[in-house]
Amino acid sequence: MAKLIIDDLHLSYGSTDILKGITATFAQGEIVALLGRSGSGKTTLLRSIAGLEEPKKGVISIGDQPVFDAAAGLNVPSEKRGLGLVFQSYALWPHKTVFENVAYGLRLRNVAKADIQQRVAGVLEGVGLGHLGERYPHQLSGGQQQRVALARALVYNPPVILLDEPLSNLDAKLREEARIWIRTLIKRMNLTAVFVTHDQVEAMAIADRIVLLDGGRIVQAGTPEQLYTEPVSLFASEFMGVNNQIRSRVQDKRGGYARIELSGHPLWGKDRAGKGVSEEATGVIRLEQVEVADGEGENRIPAELETSVYLGSHWEHVFRCGDQTLRAFGRPLAAGTHWLHLPPEQLWVF
Amino acid sequence: MNRATRIAVIVAMAIAVLAPIGLVVYQSFLDGPFFQPKTAFTLSAYEFVLDDEDFFDALYNSAIIALGMTAIAVPVGALLAFLMTRTDLPGRRWIEPVILVPMFVSSVVLAFGFVVSLGPAGFVTLWFKSAFGFVPWYLYSKWMLIVIAGLTHVPHVFLYTSSALRSLGSDVEEAARMTGAGPLRTALTVSLPMVMPNILYAAVLVFFLGFELFGLPLVLGDPEGILVLATYLYKLTNKLGTPSYQLMAVVVVAIICIALPLVALQRFLLRAANRYVSVKGKAAAQKPVSIGVWRWPAAAMITAWLLFTVVVPISGLVLRAFVSSWGEGVNLLDVLTLAHFRELMEFPNLTRGIVNTLLIASVGGALSVGVYTMLNLAAHRWQSGWTRLMDYLVLLPRAMPGLVAGLAIFWVFLFTPFLSPLRQTMIAIWVAYTLVWLAYGMRLVSGALLQIGPELEEAGRIVGASPGRVSRDLTIPLVKVGLFSSWLLIFVTFMREYSTGVYLLAPGTEVIGSLLVSLWGTGAVDLVTALSTVNIAMIGGGLLLMSLFGKRSHG
Repeated sequence: MAKLIIDDLHLSYGSTDILKGITATFAQGEIVALLGRSGSGKTTLLRSIAGLEEPKKGVISIGDQPVFDAAAGLNVPSEKRGLGLVFQSYALWPHKTVFENVAYGLRLRNVAKADIQQRVAGVLEGVGLGHLGERYPHQLSGGQQQRVALARALVYNPPVILLDEPLSNLDAKLREEARIWIRTLIKRMNLTAVFVTHDQVEAMAIADRIVLLDGGRIVQAGTPEQLYTEPVSLFASEFMGVNNQIRSRVQDKRGGYARIELSGHPLWGKDRAGKGVSEEATGVIRLEQVEVADGEGENRIPAELETSVYLGSHWEHVFRCGDQTLRAFGRPLAAGTHWLHLPPEQLWVF
Repeated sequence: MNRATRIAVIVAMAIAVLAPIGLVVYQSFLDGPFFQPKTAFTLSAYEFVLDDEDFFDALYNSAIIALGMTAIAVPVGALLAFLMTRTDLPGRRWIEPVILVPMFVSSVVLAFGFVVSLGPAGFVTLWFKSAFGFVPWYLYSKWMLIVIAGLTHVPHVFLYTSSALRSLGSDVEEAARMTGAGPLRTALTVSLPMVMPNILYAAVLVFFLGFELFGLPLVLGDPEGILVLATYLYKLTNKLGTPSYQLMAVVVVAIICIALPLVALQRFLLRAANRYVSVKGKAAAQKPVSIGVWRWPAAAMITAWLLFTVVVPISGLVLRAFVSSWGEGVNLLDVLTLAHFRELMEFPNLTRGIVNTLLIASVGGALSVGVYTMLNLAAHRWQSGWTRLMDYLVLLPRAMPGLVAGLAIFWVFLFTPFLSPLRQTMIAIWVAYTLVWLAYGMRLVSGALLQIGPELEEAGRIVGASPGRVSRDLTIPLVKVGLFSSWLLIFVTFMREYSTGVYLLAPGTEVIGSLLVSLWGTGAVDLVTALSTVNIAMIGGGLLLMSLFGKRSHG
């Protein structure tokens, strides 16, 4: 069942268009990441759902209730939408204790005092802060503040919880723990969650589904696996992973594959953009898909090993082939020329 | 606040700001007071003023004094700011709070202090004469006026430059040091140029304040007949025997015409300065630059400045309030007395003035902060033509020196039928004070409001609070501390205000400042010094409260 429906949403500041027609459906119990660079409109989209921005066109529905409908002149104010939002800066009220911060939403809903006590204690326990209710926000660490912000958004059981770059203020180590922790918590409570991030690793780690935005439009939406293994465009492929790029022209086409060349060596790759023969095209292959082969063969090229970098779990090699550099992961290699295998099904031609 | 309330508040402010100015301009084109039944439109008032040599004398003096004091205050203030914020000057911690004292003491009180200390029969003059046999200065000369005006306005320059220097990250300086610049070179080529817009702003501000100068030239210029624009206006009342409203209006229009472009320039410069500071480096802990043996001459310079502008006038004034007579050969210890203060208590208008001053500063100040808060909330997080209109309207009263604004408000109360019964009450004084300090107060309160990030209020909306609840539960509690410290600053400001009440002075509306001005005219030096001492003590109390509060809210 669809929990949150966005239909053809447009929003502009003055003459600058920020959102140029966003249509998306979010199912009950699903965690969706809005992924994009800064300026892609992802935060604006989240704030529009929250009712903090007013789009000029389109419809937003929560459950089966429209909360925004430009044509009908409907714009339910934020406080009536009943959503939960975790701010990037956490926005904890500095003059209230942790307990009061979390309890405020319940007070506004006229929940009985004893119930408030119990529910706040419960949700604080759930985020692992049961003992810190009497502290003030400035007495907490960044990670603890983030948990309070989450607790504050969860305590009144919102139908949808929104998170704006929830992990961006944590340090790297803490962030990795928080990813898993947030996903587990949201899944355990069977909530529908929408979160904004610019980090594709974070999006893949937390989300069931990713909506990739660029310039106010949706580029691609799908599971993390789909976005990683079947990007629909050069932009999507570049955003989701680390690639080698080969600039060339299409030489030949056959059965869904296109042939390009790298300094004279022919390479077959999946035809992903339908470019015609002799049109300029870019071949893209993920670093981990480039294999060091034992000798000449189909879709193999010779390349000079330029340098190798030790990364702990593996080595990263930088090869030179004509005027192009290619990077690959692997075991330590001796200096000199090596044959690289670029599997045709992993090489995408855009 | 909803849209209708916001617009209503802004319109109310527009009326309050535009009515006095409109009335003054209207009056300037009449041939008699506006309340007389038979008046006609004429340019004769303009012709009279533009024909008056004294007016051009005053204009010239104002320009010379404004230029001169800028030339003194800016280098001294900027140097002081650099020494205090960036170097290992000895005793920085205890000098710093004293530097701002001349800003908080009313300039008319400071002027009295200079007269009783450095005047021809002043304490210091007499002591110097008995020690060296001659006196190398003459207090009532124009040069002395310029020097005193310049040195007493050093704090303004210091304030703006030092805050800019403090917000300048030390990384930009460290970068200069790394590329090979010495400390002095760094200061001259990196730090100072980066705060140049702020120094420029302070320079224009001081120049502008020079044109507004009233208390200093009133007291120090009078014996030699040195007139400036404000004192020309003040003396105009007596010039023709009868109050000539149309002439006063013309002078007011002239003052506003000079001040308005200066105010606009200040606004422009402040924006430019802020833009500059926003590209500053990361503000980390700053390491003071060591200036070696130069610390002693620098410390001596600061001490000399403090002695001249703070210690000498204020201690002279306070001493004078406690002695019955002085002169050559008089041992001051023998003539100590409380008689002047006892005398003070015998005049009901003076005691009323003290009570009124306390009331206007505390209750009136709180009400004014309330008004400034309302106005700020009306524009809070709202981008529209209305808020831009408000931005410009706030500047208009800034172009009216206190004397002028007091006069304009006096006329408004005279002119408007339903207001005229209030003319001789403290309400008129309060309206004038609130208007004169509108721009200042608005900035204080908006500073407090800006400290709350918008997301704190948005978070309230999201969890289910209506806009009204957000104001009550979140915005107001969060700005409470900021509003209280704004009130403290307004309290001290209203306490030392002297020029705004001059034209509004009547039985029932006495405040210490306007009483001092009128008492000085009668030559009652004993009373003047006693009342000034009371005023200084009250301001000192306010400052003490402020520092105690500042410590608590920081600690």
